[in-house]
Amino acid sequence: MSGYAILAPALAECGRDEFSGELRVAGTPGGIFHLRDGRVVAVESPGAPGPEALLLRSGRVSGEQWAELVRESGGSRWPATALIAHGYAGSAQLRVVCMMALHDAAFAIAAGRVDGCERVAPAEPFAQVALGETVARLLQDTARRLAALALLPHPVHPDRERPVPVPVARDGRLTVLQHELLAHADGRRTARDLAFRIGRGVYTVTVEVARMLGDGLLVCAEPPAPIPVRALPEGHRLQQRTPPPPEPAPPPTRTALPRRKPGSFFRLRNGIPK
Amino acid sequence: MDHKALALEMRGLREQVTGITDTAVAAADGLLIAADTADSIDPEGLAALAAAGLGLARRTAEATARGTLRRTVTYGSHGCAAFYAVGDTALMVVLGDEGLDVDHLHRATQPALRRIDSILTDKAPEKASEGV
Repeated sequence: MSGYAILAPALAECGRDEFSGELRVAGTPGGIFHLRDGRVVAVESPGAPGPEALLLRSGRVSGEQWAELVRESGGSRWPATALIAHGYAGSAQLRVVCMMALHDAAFAIAAGRVDGCERVAPAEPFAQVALGETVARLLQDTARRLAALALLPHPVHPDRERPVPVPVARDGRLTVLQHELLAHADGRRTARDLAFRIGRGVYTVTVEVARMLGDGLLVCAEPPAPIPVRALPEGHRLQQRTPPPPEPAPPPTRTALPRRKPGSFFRLRNGIPK
Repeated sequence: MDHKALALEMRGLREQVTGITDTAVAAADGLLIAADTADSIDPEGLAALAAAGLGLARRTAEATARGTLRRTVTYGSHGCAAFYAVGDTALMVVLGDEGLDVDHLHRATQPALRRIDSILTDKAPEKASEGV
């Protein structure tokens, strides 16, 4: 069973309480829901690419440009104003990207394993969308996505299958997404890994992988290729690291050891001048 | 050295921590022992880079009185590369994408590093090369 059953009541309660802060979800992939007055304003998860990864992987913004935007925004985690000011994205476009990433991360958390949820209230919640999504709508959309995925003829879990392309002649009617998935599916990457690699939503990629498995374009590579382990060459033994050369000793200076005199111990300990 | 156990540890770590893309284990001098890496990665070169990177970081820690080196992490816009010392004799490389939770990675690697160290320093006779 997916983590939705544990996540949904905890998140719904945050909405009812008009909670502001973080709902930290332990599990795999787990993640953090950021809420303001009971509305979800950002969701972060290792299971789904955030807006930054989507913008960078799609090539809309380069790594150097992003670093400059962050510097310009005083080290902000999400330099939205600078992105718009430099024309990398329109404000409406950015809002759409953020909202898509928010729903996608909620799906990734709910589709995975949830061990527990914990509320934390920081001074100011991290927000990627100004108004935010209601908890009810977010949960409804997540449940719809989970159900839609389960109904596919070849249901795929974002973190489970590691497909490879089927080596057959294909007609030219493949979509851009299908081309990208065929190029990067190497038997090591899950749908989640592929989503990060090509900068697309994990739900979109998971559904497409499921369809391509059904259409015979992809096949699950089982079992994974063995990891080659090499025997060390003859005569080579694992040796301790060579310690760095010792620091040269300071030049010796002639210092006369203090002589004990009757009654001098008190002066030595307490520093009272003679 | 139990090759199967080493391969199991490496694969286990990749499956345990979301966002790990590749792992490799090498001797402290950079000689590659095992690599669970994509075709786009040159594991021999990566092992050599890790040995040099850890050496430089260790000397930096010493020169600046930062204590014992724990790890080095290189962050890029498309992910990160973490280098860990495995005991005194080897090193491990972990590559991750943008989604990798680096704090979670550090917590998950500690028990794995200890086990990999015991596997590598095991005095049992070498078995034929095999993987998992």
